[in-house]
Amino acid sequence: MGFFKDQVQTKEPVPGFTSYVMSTSVKDVITFAGSFVGGTVFSPAGNQKIASLTAAMLDKGTKSKDKYVISDMLESAGAELSFSSTRHHVQFAGHCLKNDLETVIKLLGEQLQTPAFPGKELKILKTRLIGNLERTKEDTKKQALIGFLRNLYPENHPNHRLTTDKAIDQILGTGMKDISTFHQKIYGPGNLNFAIVGDVISDKVNDLIYEVFHGWDEKNIKLETNGLNAFPVEKKEEQIHIPDKTSADMYLGQSVGIDRDHEDYYPLMMAIYILGGNFSARLMQNVRDKQGLTYGIGSSIGGVSFGNDGYWSTWGTFAPDLLDAGKEATMEQVSDWYNNGATLQELENKKTTLTGSFKVGMDSTGGLTAKILSNAEKNRSVEYLDQYPEIIRGITLKQVNNAIKHYIDPKKLTLVIAGTIDKASWT
Amino acid sequence: MAKNRVNGFEFVCSSEGIDEYKMTSNDLTILLMEDHSAPVATFMVTYHVGSRNEATGHTGATHLLEHLMFKGSRNFNKETGTAIWTELQNIGAQINATTWNDRTNYFEVVPSEHLEKAIAIEADRMRFAFLKDEDRQPEMTVVRNEYERGENSPFDVLDKNIWATAYQAHPYHHSTIGWRSDIENVSTKRLQEFYNTYYWPNNATATIIGDFDKEQALVLIKKYFEEHSASDHKVPDMYTEEPKQEGPRRTVVSRAGQAGVVGIGHKTPEGLSEETYAFQLLSKILSEGKTSRFNKSIIDKGLATSIFMYDFPFRDNGMFITYAFLTPNTEHKTVENIILGEYKSIIEDGVSEEELSRAKAQTRATVAFSRDGSYAAASALNEAIAIGKWTFYTTFVDRIENVSTDDIKEIANKYLVSDQSTTGWFVPQKEGVE
Repeated sequence: MGFFKDQVQTKEPVPGFTSYVMSTSVKDVITFAGSFVGGTVFSPAGNQKIASLTAAMLDKGTKSKDKYVISDMLESAGAELSFSSTRHHVQFAGHCLKNDLETVIKLLGEQLQTPAFPGKELKILKTRLIGNLERTKEDTKKQALIGFLRNLYPENHPNHRLTTDKAIDQILGTGMKDISTFHQKIYGPGNLNFAIVGDVISDKVNDLIYEVFHGWDEKNIKLETNGLNAFPVEKKEEQIHIPDKTSADMYLGQSVGIDRDHEDYYPLMMAIYILGGNFSARLMQNVRDKQGLTYGIGSSIGGVSFGNDGYWSTWGTFAPDLLDAGKEATMEQVSDWYNNGATLQELENKKTTLTGSFKVGMDSTGGLTAKILSNAEKNRSVEYLDQYPEIIRGITLKQVNNAIKHYIDPKKLTLVIAGTIDKASWT
Repeated sequence: MAKNRVNGFEFVCSSEGIDEYKMTSNDLTILLMEDHSAPVATFMVTYHVGSRNEATGHTGATHLLEHLMFKGSRNFNKETGTAIWTELQNIGAQINATTWNDRTNYFEVVPSEHLEKAIAIEADRMRFAFLKDEDRQPEMTVVRNEYERGENSPFDVLDKNIWATAYQAHPYHHSTIGWRSDIENVSTKRLQEFYNTYYWPNNATATIIGDFDKEQALVLIKKYFEEHSASDHKVPDMYTEEPKQEGPRRTVVSRAGQAGVVGIGHKTPEGLSEETYAFQLLSKILSEGKTSRFNKSIIDKGLATSIFMYDFPFRDNGMFITYAFLTPNTEHKTVENIILGEYKSIIEDGVSEEELSRAKAQTRATVAFSRDGSYAAASALNEAIAIGKWTFYTTFVDRIENVSTDDIKEIANKYLVSDQSTTGWFVPQKEGVE
């Protein structure tokens, strides 16, 4: 018995294409999202952007419909459909009203299976993407994160990030042949997951999936790690100067060497949540609420999915003249957390926070869809979603404090700050 | 029709599943909508005060006060180990507050068994917030950093400049975050005065949406809010009107940056005007989706990375603004001329029935999705409460259906004219990342 187990119907209407259908009492509205293995880590060596450009070209027309015909069909129904590429997956997502589901799923099928990839559209897309990337050069948060991850991971590790200029070069170097070859090689069922929630009937959805997707060549691409690990943990500092900025962004942390399936993952996640997971966690309570040094500061564990050795990061924003005080106050909290560990009260509070917020996340069809798909991508059964609160409740204080001591080394932190920084005063 | 059996409330009206009640002892307005799709409920209190109620010297005060409202009240405070954030986050609630031109709202999305806690907290801080000077000092620098983060964005700065240029007398002149020197210098006493002027049940609307029982909810609202009386003063009106604009205006922001932005704004009528519905559809025709006019004439030509239309209905007059984020090497003037050319075409030739029909379908879906989840519904309802009539939200789709192509041509001719325009450019000075 369980909320998800009882309500989500799982089926494989087409080989390698698993559907997760959840009918709720919401009226008329349907949200769906799906993915299959084939993200940027599968891009040919030397050009990560081929994967993301391929996904971005899917809405530029198919062999039988140009992009305006597709858009007109969607927009006339008030429906939305989008495609994207993550590090590991090709993702698609959409929503529509109940009566338009057939039209939207048929368009989804056509766009995934028979894209036209018109040359003139690639040219426009590249111009726009490069424009967006140029604009991120003035984004203090994005530049700080890129710098932070480049200091932690070697090139070709899934958690590594390209410099903005390198990303632009790769976009410029992508041709239509690269895109069509990537599509032919990667796109197809095999490990495709499709979550759909709202005013739906399971049998109808599965019949529709069969009608639209049967006969699509199975690819069955496997997720495998490439054997690359993070750089050895060591103390590093980097400043990225961006002119005319009134607030700087700081990333502080280190790689932790484990992935989400490791037995220490949940204790370490909980430890980091106690440090900076929400407003009532230590960093916001002290660095913001008590000392007034920042509008926002938090801490999280990331980059741990699909076998990758992840990282712990703390992110905060500071006015340039409060940067030193902000850094010092943050380090005080990190040191206290490391030296003295979490308390039993904190652990119990955060357990109820996480189990309660899991429930609050079921508030919308979008929230439910995201939970179901994310779980499926990790090859977990639907029952795992029902077990999650018990997993959280089972974490012990000893596990949490052991995880801090084992995976964190406050003497070897990587610190990256981006903004308008007075270098003379940097300490 | 008496829709409740709980004493102390007067049933006012009902629209699209939302019931309005008035608490007879203090004039608190209550909106209730049951939706049992998920075991979650949203509680929200909207105060009818925003940055339109501020003047020089205390711009940003509504927002700073909103921050101080989390610092503690009679029954929920750090001293007794019952701080608001801790109490609510420990049960997994999603909580926050927002301030805008016409309103301030505080909300909690909670597992439905914890609804009472949210009601108790909001009732307590409605009249018993501490608002101490020792809390304002550190919170001022927090809010100043929020301001500084906004100033990092060329778009945010351009938007502030366009509004400040278009509105000279009316308080929409300044943005909700306020001017930096006002954030730094407004006194705690001034914030307390603000609180004692506006934070009363007769100037507030309490909303509950989601998995709850109406009668039980009214019992809880009575339990916690009944101790508050209505204000013993009339909540003051904001009476400043913007003088008629008599010519086009321009503003330029130039500083380090990577890519240009063009914004063209035209003043619009107050949100509850019948003409608002035509504007809402026109913005979809111009900018929503690949078949929209700006997508074809600007995005598909590679001249901009994105287009964003700002057309929110406000309590007083608003702005219909098109923002274009330029691609490298695109001239501002080129895109400005295209935007104005599209406006001219609508002024002269109107829009097609097909365009209007598509915009209506997009609107119907948007409204349907605005009811997907208790928080989404509360958030949409909040903006309708802010402009002065919550049924604006529930009747929106029906009113949209009545808009004709003639209506759209008429508002274009009346409002999208040069004399009423304010054009802003962000011109980047390139220095680059070191």
